[in-house]
Amino acid sequence: MKVVPSRSSEWVRPVTPQKPASAIIEIEGVSQVFQTSARKDHVALSDISLAIEEGAFVSILGPSGCGKSTLLYVVGGFVSPTRGSAKIKGRTITGPGPDRGPVFQEFALFPWKTVLGNVMYGPRQQGVRAPEAEAQSRALIEMVGLKGYENFYPKELSGGMKQRVALARTLAYHPEVLLMDEPFGALDAHTRTRLQNDLLNIWERDRKTVLFVTHSVDEAVFLSDKVVMMSKSPGRIREVIDIDLPRPRRRSELLLDPRYQKYVVDIERMFDETDPVGSPS
Amino acid sequence: MISLAAFARRAAPVLACVGLLAMWQAASLALKNDSFPTAIEAIRAIPDILGDKEALINILASLRRMTIGFGVAVLVSIPLGLLMGRSRAVAALFNPLLMVIYPVPKAALMPIIMLWLGVGDITKTLVIFLGVSLPVIYHSFEGAKAVEEKMLWSGAAMGLSPAQRLVRIVLPAALPEILTGCRTGLVLALITMITSEMIARQSGAGNILFNALDMGQYDTVFAMIIIVGAMGICLDAIFERVRARLVRWSEPQFDMPLSFS
Repeated sequence: MKVVPSRSSEWVRPVTPQKPASAIIEIEGVSQVFQTSARKDHVALSDISLAIEEGAFVSILGPSGCGKSTLLYVVGGFVSPTRGSAKIKGRTITGPGPDRGPVFQEFALFPWKTVLGNVMYGPRQQGVRAPEAEAQSRALIEMVGLKGYENFYPKELSGGMKQRVALARTLAYHPEVLLMDEPFGALDAHTRTRLQNDLLNIWERDRKTVLFVTHSVDEAVFLSDKVVMMSKSPGRIREVIDIDLPRPRRRSELLLDPRYQKYVVDIERMFDETDPVGSPS
Repeated sequence: MISLAAFARRAAPVLACVGLLAMWQAASLALKNDSFPTAIEAIRAIPDILGDKEALINILASLRRMTIGFGVAVLVSIPLGLLMGRSRAVAALFNPLLMVIYPVPKAALMPIIMLWLGVGDITKTLVIFLGVSLPVIYHSFEGAKAVEEKMLWSGAAMGLSPAQRLVRIVLPAALPEILTGCRTGLVLALITMITSEMIARQSGAGNILFNALDMGQYDTVFAMIIIVGAMGICLDAIFERVRARLVRWSEPQFDMPLSFS
């Protein structure tokens, strides 16, 4: 099969897959076509190439319907791409695995398990003995700020608390890469801000590689080392922007920092060009 | 006040029963029909039935067939329903078959089954099995279909194989729906149990009822109806307790305050 990359729009810059020595994830020429009906195909992703360095916090930013979540699912191994491939540490990704831990907008907790049961699930599956798994899980629950809620069921928790549990549950089996799919998208503004702060604090301790899908420009700039800007129909990479802001980042300082403000303004302008009339959904 | 409300809640089912019996008594006295005994006459006949060794053996045999039919149906139907819910191929294979069988009254199949397998336990147990299977399959199927994809993905990322995901994620996630099907199945088991004994008149609770009808012992007929009804209420109450325990995690936390209370 011959793949002809079409780069008709003048603002699409060819993104050559640069492979730094430390690239943990390499996405090479990934296209994803969904068959919506017998005759019509929906091109969700078109010829995406991207390399993600180990320990980097990378956000994928774009309007809804640009395929940013699909790209994350390809890396997760939950969907297999129509063309191209994704690799982790040089191995082609063929399915899900504990080296890549997802956190979804919908939380996807196991409702029949308590908070502790949810967090222990991964380590137990990996063969960690129960007392050890429990001790680690209790420490993680404390780290995400839910000490005292170990025996609560998910239905008894607020959205923000559920997402904290989901994060702890994924961190518990030590994935090398965190795949976060609009994790704070379903939360109110205040809860969202607090979870962003806490996520940064947790991340700055061990600097795990994070691939973070969002449609919020502030969120992407605040959290990331690198923002991958996507455009829609078909989903392509429009721009990769390095966010050169010092760490550890504190929201109160950052919001007043002119460099932060410039990133946000520049990216918002690009966002408007990409998606001039807004998204229907 | 609270204790009074709690008392009212506990007393309500008893009051309902007493009310029903009172209405029965009044209607029977008003109609003065030989084939419609009063409630008191029917209740008086109950100890005679339960005291009779043969009748008791018959009722226990009925319960045994029902337990086996229900148990085997649940053991077969849950895995089948779950597989159908998660695999398009399995669903495509079994769905047309089930759609044909679902509306057919299972008792209508009895003459054929009797022809093949005789009038004994196997035939009656098989009819109960058929009656219970369909609602359990249907609810397991619907429950498995509704399981959130992302929940399965989370399990896959933890390293669960497809078979492990079916048993350890789809089964518990669909359990509330499965148990709703089992509850319907339990009532249907009782109905098909009596029906099967009406058709293959050899033994069982249904046979006692129809023998009494043949002999014009109407108080025994109505006493048997009360006994079968009480059996249904008890089985359902026991099942409901077990169900509530198993799916406590999915129940709403508080009673919804009704607008008039």
